[in-house]
Formats: sequence, structure tokens, C-alpha cells
Amino acid sequence: MTAEQLQALLPIIMMASTSVIVMLVVAFIPRHSVISSVTVLGFILTFASLSWTGEVGQGLQVTPLIVVDRFALFYSALLLLASLVITLLSFNYFTKGSGSENQVEPGEFYILLTTATLGAMVLVSSNHFASLFVGMELLGISLYVLVAYLSHYRQGRQGSLEAGLKYLVLSGVASAILLFGIALLYAEFGVLGFGQLGALWSNIGALNGIYAMAGLGLLLAGICFKLSLIPFHMWTPDVYEGAPVMATAYIATISKGAVFVLFLRFFMVSGAFMQEMANNLLILIAIASMLGGNLLALMQSNVSRILAYSSIAHMGYLLVVLLVANTGNVPVSTISESVGFYLVAYIITTLGAFGVMAVRSNMLDTRDTDQVADYKGLFWHSPWLASVLTGMLLSLAGMPLTAGFIAKFYIITMGVEGLKWLLVSTLIIGSAIGLYYYIRIIIVMFMRHDEEPITGKRDRAVSTIDGLVLAALAGVLIWLGVYPGPMIGVIQAAFPG
Amino acid sequence: MIAIPVEHCLLLSVMLFCLGLLGVLVRRNIIFVLMSMEIMLNAIGLAFVSGGARWGQADGQVMFLLVITLAAAEVAIGLALVLQLYQRYRTLDIETISKMKG
Amino acid sequence: MLEFLWLVPLLPLLGFLLLVLLPLTKRAAAIVGVGSVGAAALLTLLIVVELFGLSSDAQVFRQIYWTWMQAENFTAQFAFYLDPLAAVMMAIITGVGFLIHLYSVGYMDEDPGFARFFAYMNLFIAAMLVLVLGDNLVVLYLGWEGVGLCSYLLIGFWYDSHANGYAARKAFVVTRVGDALMALGMFLLFLHLDTLDIQQLMANANDQWQTGSSLPTIAAALLLGGALGKSAQIPLQTWLPDAMAGPTPISALIHAATMVTAGVYLIARTHELFLLAPDIMFLVALIGATTLFISGFTALVQTDIKRILAFSTISQLGYMFLALGVGAWSAAIFHLMTHAFFKALLFLAAGAVILCVHHEQDIFKMGGLRKRLPVSFWSFMIGGLALVAVPLTSGYYSKHEILFAAAGNENSGQLLWLLGVLGAVMTGLYTFRLIFTVFFGEENTRVHESTVGLVVKLPLVVLCLLSIVGGWFVLPLDHVFPASEEQAISGITSLVTDVAPFVGIFIAYLVFHQNKALADAVVAHTPGRLLQRFWFSGWGFDWLYQKILVNPFMLFVRINKNDIVDSFYRLAAWLMRLIHRLFGLTQTGRMQWYVGSIALGVVLIVGAGIFS
Repeated sequence: MTAEQLQALLPIIMMASTSVIVMLVVAFIPRHSVISSVTVLGFILTFASLSWTGEVGQGLQVTPLIVVDRFALFYSALLLLASLVITLLSFNYFTKGSGSENQVEPGEFYILLTTATLGAMVLVSSNHFASLFVGMELLGISLYVLVAYLSHYRQGRQGSLEAGLKYLVLSGVASAILLFGIALLYAEFGVLGFGQLGALWSNIGALNGIYAMAGLGLLLAGICFKLSLIPFHMWTPDVYEGAPVMATAYIATISKGAVFVLFLRFFMVSGAFMQEMANNLLILIAIASMLGGNLLALMQSNVSRILAYSSIAHMGYLLVVLLVANTGNVPVSTISESVGFYLVAYIITTLGAFGVMAVRSNMLDTRDTDQVADYKGLFWHSPWLASVLTGMLLSLAGMPLTAGFIAKFYIITMGVEGLKWLLVSTLIIGSAIGLYYYIRIIIVMFMRHDEEPITGKRDRAVSTIDGLVLAALAGVLIWLGVYPGPMIGVIQAAFPG
Repeated sequence: MIAIPVEHCLLLSVMLFCLGLLGVLVRRNIIFVLMSMEIMLNAIGLAFVSGGARWGQADGQVMFLLVITLAAAEVAIGLALVLQLYQRYRTLDIETISKMKG
Repeated sequence: MLEFLWLVPLLPLLGFLLLVLLPLTKRAAAIVGVGSVGAAALLTLLIVVELFGLSSDAQVFRQIYWTWMQAENFTAQFAFYLDPLAAVMMAIITGVGFLIHLYSVGYMDEDPGFARFFAYMNLFIAAMLVLVLGDNLVVLYLGWEGVGLCSYLLIGFWYDSHANGYAARKAFVVTRVGDALMALGMFLLFLHLDTLDIQQLMANANDQWQTGSSLPTIAAALLLGGALGKSAQIPLQTWLPDAMAGPTPISALIHAATMVTAGVYLIARTHELFLLAPDIMFLVALIGATTLFISGFTALVQTDIKRILAFSTISQLGYMFLALGVGAWSAAIFHLMTHAFFKALLFLAAGAVILCVHHEQDIFKMGGLRKRLPVSFWSFMIGGLALVAVPLTSGYYSKHEILFAAAGNENSGQLLWLLGVLGAVMTGLYTFRLIFTVFFGEENTRVHESTVGLVVKLPLVVLCLLSIVGGWFVLPLDHVFPASEEQAISGITSLVTDVAPFVGIFIAYLVFHQNKALADAVVAHTPGRLLQRFWFSGWGFDWLYQKILVNPFMLFVRINKNDIVDSFYRLAAWLMRLIHRLFGLTQTGRMQWYVGSIALGVVLIVGAGIFS
């Protein structure tokens, strides 16, 4: 390994070291504030190290497994910032209210955040099945524990255990399916790198043969599970509801974001989904997800579940962009640009929405503040929180002046240029349905409530850190919606080709 | 040494995999569900190893090592959660964790 | 100082933001609200002095801030353009605006919405400045809609009364008709001339279009539509009298001095386009003359002091349109300025009267207030004389310039002039009817002691001064507008023009002061009563619109209330809920069911792959 390669690997090394250091800190200085600060510092340093990777140019292959290019660096930066936000918002969530006798410090939570982010970083830099596997499992296994994190807690959240077990088994099955797909493809073609596979496939043309087709199908199914696309979506609402809200935010943003980025790279490098079979299936999946996700969310009374179902629809929207790529009407760089912008907008928005939920929740409660009814009249006693959440929901709905609008506008433009009328009209119908449940939450927040909140929950004061983080998210949301030029420039620069 | 055709190995691994999946589908005891997942992972290992044998590469074996690691990690966490489940509900029946729905 | 131009609209905007975001005390709100506009006025003064200090062909200043939007070959800069015309408008807006703000501190003193009032007022000033400074039609339109919004908010300022809300909505909807036409005009201009930059637009129009051809005619007509709505000219004049529902300072600022003159400004700003459309020019003149004539009669029979002034405003705007129509651009702007002074004065004086008589607005319930309210009386007197255009007052100079220009117009000039002179007679008549009724005669109201303080009196005095001397200057607009040739005015024309107002005053003296029974006698007869009722209703425009627009629409709405289209949507909603419930059933919470779904998906995908 040359010095350049080692330097290019610096962020991943930094992240791994952060995990180890946090682990040691948890062992020797088990104080919440110290652990949290060290984790934050680790994320910041890793983020900073992204600029010390040296000139990677068109991409630097480090061992056959990892490629470090601007694409990987951009998404690593995005995921690191998202992790940073989650870490910052976690502090108050895990800070116990006064008079509690429970002495458990949430140190492991932070260790797992760092290992999960390490996995995500490996995923976005991966162009080989082995690193895909390692990254995805590093991310996945950390998440099992994050989801179940509150199940050991004495009074206990029943939801956390249930969500953890469900996620473990379902995700385990899905991983197995994905791996089996990889194994079959390997047995058939004898290569594990995306690039080699792409070279082979472009020679063969249309794939045939049972194992090739089955392998590709299984691989597709596994990825669809991670992105919670219909019909692999069923875990999403239960896990979102049961997991501690910060773990939910992590799954919704970083886990899905990293897997989609991998999906995009796999698609760009191997050209797998030029295959007609995959194309047609993906069209069906996209349509089912866009409609099904929105319809399932329609009358939900739990905000976490609403966001879970809506994430199904959002991943369906994103899939539209990939499908447009197959038509060849739109250059791949534009595809990468619109996916990038959508992911940025979606991550910011989702973090903001869960962030508002997090500042109103605490690990000591028997559940997170996630019933729609909990938000009744929020505007009248915490106008800023309500405004931030309103902004986030409007962005999810794709209203103008928010980042979500530009993102959706991109997708619709792509769809129209790719002449995918069926997909575009489904997207529009789905968005129309989506408006209903987003706006329902907003209406509830603006209702006057004269009596005490039904759940008897008192609102805690928002801490300075939480307030700043939420304000920053809201600021970026509006900034991207009003003046998206600079961000588009950054995303364009990140295109690897 | 008589070479076993790779198709046979793959067929066996597919059967094993389906058996494992079936086990996850029908078993109500959470321990058996986890065991069925192990079977699926082992089927994957078999497929990788036979692929490696077919192409004469070490990559298949390397992947198998990774799969074993995954299996160990998954089971470790799985059993920890099973303990929690048992302590709280005094049962291993998977039906106890179906509270969240709709 | 010119480079600080951006600060002029920004100051009131900042004032608005402060007032909205911070929970200010009343005193602080007043300081922020008045102070920001005062600072803007001061800055404007410096800028205007510097601009007019330049040599007359260099009196153009443009400041580009950022590219607002860009798409293909369409670019809209956010830019301001300052020339003598914009400078005059700016001076009027900030100057009169400042005086009215000051006055409002006293007038709104006891209102619970004090800070909200000043917030809206500041926003209005900012929007109005953007309107007149806009370098291209898009920026102008931003200001145009901004003032419309503020007008809506301020008419409905006391929103707990249903009627005020209705009046606000009416103003919004009626002007919207004009705004839509104007937007269409902008699209048309861009479509054919590839720019919305006003100066460039005018140059392109002159290059590419023939005088009198159809495109400039249509474009000018559409822009005229916008101007008619904003400036309350026939047929879109019906909103302005109802707009008097707002607080009186609003009526003075928005619905007399500034916003309603935006239409005049728009036409003056795009006069080169209108010069290419002589037919539309004539239409402008005709509309102006008709409006001034009709609303003069309407003002004569109103009993509400503010409605009288409102119809008078419509009538005076009619004069401005008449001037625009006959190509007397500077005269129109001149009258716009003097009108801003004396009409603001009249409204503010009326406000002071209304305050002192316990919010009574019916002039026949007042009377003999001359002695009790000397300041208001003299303000009213001076404002009234200027309105009537008595020699030596500001209104005299501007109105006569207009009437002479009309008389000299080759296109039915005599008719336009005649309508204008008749309107002048009516102006004298209705103005002095108001003054005689309110301030003379026997007292028949208990007036509560004049509590108006200095903040109310000072603006009145300043505006009195301006109403007199405001006409003694010549506006330096020669380089903005094409020179109009000197018309030879016959002595008789001149004489009649001069005498007309006095005729009106004399009749008013006879009928409303000397012999009050006369008016009652006229109204006692059936034709007189019918005529009075007809005029009172504003020549039946509201009635007409009610019959031909509102009622059919309401009928349609009633029919439509439970119609098929609606039930289709209800069906869709019901269907969605049903599907939601069905889909929800799949989410059983049972893990093995979920695994089953995954397995099914895998089987489908792999099956499709293998058997395709």
C-alpha cells in the first residue's frame, strides 16, 4: 500500500480510531458528557480529515475493495455531518431527568454510532462485494443494538425490544438473501468487483441462466429491503416506532442514504439495471412504493410511523431517477446530481423532523413523543419548535421555498425528460396523497388546546445545543430551497466520471 | 479426487437456503428462528466456497470467513435480545412481539 | 449619497421586521415605526438633492444588487433605477409617509394593534419604494403586489368587524382583476421584446413596433388594466370607497396619497409604449374624464365624510389619467404630487375631526365645528381650496396645466376639457358642501375637548404649507418625458377654467349654507330623489356588478355546492381511506408475516428473472 493510498484511507482510519477511543473512554471515564464530547470531536476530526485525503483525482483504488473518489468523499461528508447532528441531539435525549435512581450511562450508544458510521463510510467507498458486505453488516449489526438499546431499561420500553428483535431477524434474513445473491453471482461469473462484473456483463449483453438471474434478483431484493421498498417494507414502521428516536433518525437518514449511494454506484459501475428484467421489476417496485407508502401513512396517528411510511414513498421517488437513467435520455452525471440533491434534502429534512421529536422525548419515558396528539397546540407553547417541524414537513411534502421542493422538482424534470410518464404521474398522485398527512400534523400543531396535553407530557426546555442544531437544519433547509446553486455545484463536482 | 460439479453444490446450497428461510417462516420459537438463519448463512458459505472452487480462487473462502463472522455477531446480539425477551415475558414464543401494528 | 439608494426601502423593511419579530412596547414601536420612515425620508432628501444637482442629462442612476432569477434567456436582476420621475415619487412616498406616520402616533394611540399598525405601514412604505424604484417590471410587480397586500391588511385592520373584512376582500379581488391583466401584459412584452428591463423594453418597443400597430395596442391595454385597478378608475373603481373601512391615516397614505397613484406612475413610466398606441392613449383620457365627472356627482350626495373624500380621490385620479391620456405627462405627475399633499391633508384633518366627535362620520351629524376645532378647520379650508384649485394654491397650477393640455388636444380635446371643467365645478360644489355642513351652521354634536397633541398638529401644519406652496415649483421632469408643444389657449377657455371652481363654491354657498331648504326641496321631488339615490350608489356600479358578476357566480356556487365534480373528489377521498385501511391490515405486527412478505417478494423477483 502506497503512502497516497494510506492518506486516501485517512477518514476511514480516523473513524475506526474514534470507535476505539470512544470505547476506551466508556470503559475508563464513564461520564456522559465526556463520552458525548469525545464522539463529537471524533466526528468533527474525521470530517476535517476528508480534506486531507490528498488529490484523489478520478478516484484512487485502495486495495481491490475500496475506492476513494470525490463521490465517496462527498457522501462521507454528508453522512458524517448527519451523524454529528444525531450525536448532538442524543445528548439531551439520554440525559436523565432529576430524581432518577437509574445509574446506567448510555456510553454504548455512542460507540455504536461511530461503528455504524464507519460501516456507512465503507459502504459509500465500496466498489467490491466484499467491502459492500463488510460495510453493510458493520452498519446493520450496530443498528440492531441501537434499535434495541432501551430494551434493557428497567421499566422498559416494550417497543424497543420488539423492534430490535424484529429488525434483527428481518434484516438478518434480508442480509442473507443479499449475500446469497452475491454468492450465486460469484459462482456464475467468478468476480466480486463491480467494475469487473460490469466489464463481463457488457461483453455478454443480456444475462441469462438461472443462477445469474436468481443472483441478480436476490441482490436486488436485499437492497430493496434496506431501502424499505414495497414489498420488503414491512419492518419499517414497527422499527421506527419502537426504536429510540435517535436510532430511528439514524436508520432513516444514514443507513438508507449509504445504501442508496451504494446502489447508485453499483448501478453506475456495473450497469446491472440496464438489464430489462431488473428494469421492469424496479418500475413495479417504484410504483408500488410511491402509492403504497403514501396510502399506508394516510390516517396514521403516530408520527414515527407516518415518517416510516413516507420514507417508503420517498425511496420510491428516488428510484424513479435511477429508472430514468435506463432510457439513456439523461446523462448519468445529471442522474447523480439529482440523487445527490434529493439525498441531501431528505437527510436534512428527516433529521429535522426527528430532531424536533427528540428534543421533546427522553429515554426515561415509556415511549417517545411520537403520537400526533402529542403535537396538539405545539405552536402555541413552543412556536420555534413548531415552526421548524412545519418547515420540515413542508419540505417532505415538496413545498416551494424548501429544499424538498427543489429535490422533487429535479426528479419530476428527470422523469419528464426520460419520458417516464407512468412513473411521473404516480409520483404526482403519491405526492398529492402525501400532502394530506403532512398537513394534518401541521394543522394539529396550530390547533388551540385549552386543556392539558392528553398524555400529560410536560414540555422540557430546549437546550442551547438542540436549539442551535435545529435552527441550523432549518436554515439550511430554507437556504437550499431558495438558493440551491452552491449545493448543486458541490454535488456536480462530486460526480466520479 | 472426483470433482463434484459446481451445479450440484449450488443446488444443495439453494435447497439449504430455502430450508432455512422456511424455518424462519414457520418456527414460533425464537431460538429456532435464529438457528434457521444460521442455516441460511451456511448455505451462503457453501455457495461461496463452491464458487471459489469452480474458479480456483481464494476469494470464495475469504467471503466464507466473513460470513462466519457475521453469523457469530448476529447470534451474539440475537441471544442477548432473546434473554431480554425471556426475562420479561417468560416465553420464547415469537408471537409475544407483535404489539406494534397498523 | 446615491450609492445609499438601497438603504431607502431597506430602512422601512427593517422597521417592519423589528416590529413583527420583537415584542416592543408602544413607545418603542412608535420610535421604530416612525424613525425608520423618517430616516428613509431624510436619506431620500439627500439623494434627491444630489440627483438634481447633476447635469440634467446625467440624472439617471442604476444600482444592480443580485440576479434574482434566471432561466434560459430570461434574466431578472434585482436592481433599482433612479431618475427624476422615480425621485419625485420617492420624495412623495417618504415625505408624506413620514408625516402620516407621525400623525398616526397620535391617532392610533389607544388602539391595541398599535405595533401591528406600524408594522404594516412600514412594510407598505418599503413595498411602495420598491415599486417606484424597480428597474424592471418584475421588481416593479413585486412592489405592486406588496402594496396590494398591505392595502388588504390595512383595510381589514380592525378585522373583528365583518364589514371591514368584506371591504378588504373586495379591494383585493377587484384590484386582482387589474393585476392579472398587468401580468398578462408583462408576459406579452417579454414574449415579443425579450426583456423586462423597463428602459430596454421601451427602446426595443420603439425599434420593433410601429405606432398604432396591434401589439403595442394590446400590451398598452393590458398594462392599462393594471393601472385602472390600482388607481380605482372606471370600471374598477368600486373598491376604493369601501376601502375607507381602514383607519384614517391609511386612507390618507395608501388610498389617497401613494398607492392609488401607482397606476399613474406605471403609465408615466411606460409612456413610450403608450405613445405607440394612440388609441389606448385616447381611451386613457376618456376613462379619466368619465371617471372624474361621474365620481364628482357621487361625492356630492355622500354623507360619510371619508366616502366624500374617497370619491374625490377617484375624481382627482381621473384628472391624472386625463393628463396622461392627452400626453401631458409632467402635468399628471405634478397633479399626483399636489394631490398627495392636499388629499393627505384633508384625510388627516378629517381624521382629527372624527376623533373629536366620537368616531361619527356622518357630516349631517356634525356642524359648527369651526370654533371648536380651529386646526382641523383651517387644514380643511386650505386643503379644500387646493382641491378646488383656487388660484395661488398648489392644486390650481397642476389642475390648470391638465385642463389646458386637454383643451389643446387635437383628439376631441374640447369634449375632454368640458368634462374636466364640469368636474371642477363639481369639485367646488362637493368640497364646500362638506366644509359648510361640517364647520358652519349651528353646533349639533357634543365635541369632546380637542385632545389632539403636537404629533397630530405638526403634520397638519406642514401639509397645509405644502398644499399652498407645493405648486409654485416646476418639477424637473423635462428629460424623462417628451416635451409637449405649447398650446395656444384661447382667452375664453382660460377664463372659464379659472372661474369654474368658484361657480361650484358659490352654488355650495347658496344651497348648503345660505338656504338649506333648497337642497331638501330638490330631493323631495321624485326625479330629484331618484337621481340622488342613483348618484349616492356611485352610479350603480356596485349594483351592476352585483347583478352581472356576483349573483351569477353565487348562483353557480349554489348549484355547484353538492355537484358531481365534488362527489367525485369525495369518492376519491373515501377510496383512499378504504385502501389505507386495507393496506393497514397487511401490517399485522407479526414478524413471520413480514418474513413471508419478503419471501414472496424474492420469489416474484427471482421467478420473473428466470422465466422472462
